[in-house]
Amino acid sequence: MNRRIAIRNMALLLGGTVLLPSCLNSKGNKVVQLKHITLDDDQQTLIAEIAETIIPKTSTPGAKDLKLPEFVLLMLDDCYNKKDQLQILEGLTAFNNLVKSKFNKDFANLSIKERESFLNDFESSAKQAQKNSKSTDSINAFYWAIKQQTVFAYTTSQYFMTKQIVYELVPGRYNVHVPVKKLKSA
Amino acid sequence: MSANTYDAIVIGSGISGGWAAKELTEKGLKTIMLERGRNIEHIKDYVNANKDPWEFPHRGGRTQKMIEDYPVLKRDYPLNETNLDFWANDKESPYVEKKRFDWFRGYHVGGRSLMWGRQSYRWADFNFEENLKDGIAVDWPIRYKDLEQWYGYVERFAGISGNKDGLAVLPDGDFMPPMDMNIVEKDVAKRFKDIYKGARSFVIGRTANITVPHNNRTNCQYRNKCWLGCPFGAYFSTQSATLPAAAATGNLTVRPWSIVTKILYDKDTKKAKGVEVLDAETNQTYEFFAKIVFVNASAFNSTWILMNSATDIWPDGLGSSSGELGHNVMDHHLNVGAGGTVEGYLDKYYFGRRANGIYIPRYRNLNGDKRDYIRGFGYQGGASRDGWGKNVAEMNIGGAFKDAVTEAGIWEMGIGGFGETLPYHENKITLDKTVKDKWGLPVLAFDAELKDNELKMRKDMENDAKEMLEAAGVKNVHTYSSNPYLGRGIHEMGTARMGRDPKTSVLNGWNQVWDAKNVFVTDGAAMTSAACQNPSLTYMALTARAANYAVEELKKNNI
Repeated sequence: MNRRIAIRNMALLLGGTVLLPSCLNSKGNKVVQLKHITLDDDQQTLIAEIAETIIPKTSTPGAKDLKLPEFVLLMLDDCYNKKDQLQILEGLTAFNNLVKSKFNKDFANLSIKERESFLNDFESSAKQAQKNSKSTDSINAFYWAIKQQTVFAYTTSQYFMTKQIVYELVPGRYNVHVPVKKLKSA
Repeated sequence: MSANTYDAIVIGSGISGGWAAKELTEKGLKTIMLERGRNIEHIKDYVNANKDPWEFPHRGGRTQKMIEDYPVLKRDYPLNETNLDFWANDKESPYVEKKRFDWFRGYHVGGRSLMWGRQSYRWADFNFEENLKDGIAVDWPIRYKDLEQWYGYVERFAGISGNKDGLAVLPDGDFMPPMDMNIVEKDVAKRFKDIYKGARSFVIGRTANITVPHNNRTNCQYRNKCWLGCPFGAYFSTQSATLPAAAATGNLTVRPWSIVTKILYDKDTKKAKGVEVLDAETNQTYEFFAKIVFVNASAFNSTWILMNSATDIWPDGLGSSSGELGHNVMDHHLNVGAGGTVEGYLDKYYFGRRANGIYIPRYRNLNGDKRDYIRGFGYQGGASRDGWGKNVAEMNIGGAFKDAVTEAGIWEMGIGGFGETLPYHENKITLDKTVKDKWGLPVLAFDAELKDNELKMRKDMENDAKEMLEAAGVKNVHTYSSNPYLGRGIHEMGTARMGRDPKTSVLNGWNQVWDAKNVFVTDGAAMTSAACQNPSLTYMALTARAANYAVEELKKNNI
């Protein structure tokens, strides 16, 4: 047991959260400096608000609390090729325009209900048309990339892995049968 | 003894080089182990081993920068953020692909013993006999009985966990207690018994992860982070096992940054007298001398060294008099299998990350089975529960979705094949002197491909996977078959094969180069055929056997 605690402490010492360089804009929002793509603060806000709608603050922290938008931006900046980045940026504009044409407002200014119903409608029509992040249509490429990275960010975050599920760096054992509560959805 | 003179030289520090160094030093030989890359110190240099997933900036993924920097490594899973430093730099060490060959290398102390898959299977007697029986290539000069005691010897030291399954196709070893199957795998194993009545088996993987403490190494902690280096020394690597044993004798010198450019051949004695080394950091050239040389530079680099040696006598290099040096490139072909979902078991989970899976040993072309190809394949796989509740249509965003992703998903089961590749003379590597690496050295050109026998086998590998999973009760089974290219198994074999006749083989039955009896090649290069089992355990056994023989011969003044 001591050994495991020692290892864990070592990990805590060695690892620091890697944060992107950022600064505050005129409205007091954090703007992330990206290396390979340019996103102004409205565009960054849009991504953050979509992420927050997917993983909202409830009785537990939401996307913004957990800095998931920063991770999404980092992934967009570092892990997508030029062609995909261009398509995603194009899709961001298209997404924005679609919201405006429907509500005459920016996504960030919609109520939570409006945001949720918009995204739900968007997802169901995309699913009907079988569109996903590899889709040639830029608006879907944009949305599904943001969603995929948001969920990935959440499910691999320290908060999720230590507070929501059981994760140990050093399990020390393999129990072949652990009873669990039945799936709610099953 | 001058400063650069030793009893033995070992070229390479991976799985087989580590074994050569251990055996030779324990038998009293002053030995220098030459490694082309940097040093990696056990535990201290496993810089990512104790990081949690969220501590990696891209959570383990690959960036565009990495993809640009590693044009070969990017072709499969090895390109990732967590252990990038363990893979050779593609740009510093290029090679030529006349035909596509995915070559994933580890250039550092420990070599790929740090990143290997650890699955450890003995060959059965029929594996050594099939070339003769099929009239393919040449006959192995040895049989299972020649290697049996050495398998046991290396298993007891390396620490192989496994179950004594009593299968004729897959001989039992001297095992540590096996890892466990999870609840779904246990049921599938039972169904296999009912359906196939022993003609096909479904067993727990035999892996070089220790399950009880052993030689100052801590038993496996079920982290499944082996390829970052194990702070517990729980899996076999040069660093965790053979290197400390060799160092403890006081007879070992390790020299990193030492690219062996040639073996120095003495035409009067018809033996090697040493090696020439290019220091990878300073570009200075050195010579080291010894009575015996073990070549363990990884299959194709071992052959590269032979090709560059004694060219004044044999233009194509030491061991080329047979016309077989560089020929018979082999690997295991993979990326073919099936997966599906398992209904039920939703109140059952497991805890811990088992660095192992299940194994289905070969059954094709055995016991009366006859296909439109020869040889066969095995499968590795396992069952696990999917991470979070996808497929929850009405909960795609928002608070309910956030709750749903914390739920355990459904059970899934998958198996992937490892197929035997035949030794074709025309599948070869050659030296390309027009292309140079970072150090100005000529590089290897690959001209090898899967042929009809392998491609026919792949159809069975795909269809059988589906058939067996469905028979075992797995639902929604999908199959896949992609990337029919050599190299991806990272099981490079052949190019300096063992044989019974110097006219048709490079090495004799003791892994000695026919043309220089004090030069031993005991890594994948020596393989006469490939079987379908993961090969490293066989390299270990061949190396221990050859080292024992070398020292005996040395004592008798025969070499």
